[in-house]
Amino acid sequence: MEELILKLKQEIIEALNLEDVKPEDIDENASLFGDGLGLDSIDALELIVLMEKNYGIKLSDPNQGKEIFKSVAVMADYISKNRTK
Amino acid sequence: MKHFVVLNDKSVMVDGVPMQLENQGMAMLNDVYRSKIGDYPKFFKMDALCKVGFVASELLLKAETDGEISQRKAHGTSSRAVLLFNRSGSLNADTKYQATIQEADNFFPSPAIFVYTLPNIVTGEIAIRNLYYGETNFIVLDCMDLHTIAEQIANAFQDSETESMLTGWVDCYDENHFEARMLIINRNEDILNELNKIKQ
Repeated sequence: MEELILKLKQEIIEALNLEDVKPEDIDENASLFGDGLGLDSIDALELIVLMEKNYGIKLSDPNQGKEIFKSVAVMADYISKNRTK
Repeated sequence: MKHFVVLNDKSVMVDGVPMQLENQGMAMLNDVYRSKIGDYPKFFKMDALCKVGFVASELLLKAETDGEISQRKAHGTSSRAVLLFNRSGSLNADTKYQATIQEADNFFPSPAIFVYTLPNIVTGEIAIRNLYYGETNFIVLDCMDLHTIAEQIANAFQDSETESMLTGWVDCYDENHFEARMLIINRNEDILNELNKIKQ
């Protein structure tokens, strides 16, 4: 799981152009939106694309994102249980 | 004093004075952002055209207000318009977005790129940043024809609300080929004469 969390942090930084942010700067238990990384709605859409492109996970219900994108740790857990690639 | 900014992928000049820069292209713009602006993380999410327009506008407005942000914000309201021109439209972002949907078996449209597939996103970014509620418009032309640009600016001043206009040429072919020529024109100024200051 540690390996997946690190990989996910790197993918998020790259996909969302989080310049000047390093993987170690991201607390895997901190909120991705709001006070955490301060991501916005476009970032949420980009995360949905990332999940499908890199892990073969298609979120059919956008409301699922609210739960799955709570933190990097929650995302990693969901990916490990649902990934198809 | 009338302030103006002229920048391209190799140099940046404010009021005709070149800035000392180590890099070129987007790396140069990122350096300028970090050293002269630095309080708008959304900058790094912008496409290249927006970065060019944003950096040029920031340098121009800092010159206009002697670097005082609070003073700059006071220039907000509906009396200032943002009217920009270029030749390439949003071609750079369009091309990047097309690449995300080009192959049927690798079809992952990027929302973050898609939002920049219109050139007038630049004028919106500048208006949002500076609380300008006046007209914003981005016009694509065949070339930097100052007479046509002056005519469009004059037309925009027909609006009785507009007292000043952040305007100029902001073009970006790709991350290594871009330029901006930007200034502020006030109502009743000789528009063509003012535009000639950013021509050289």
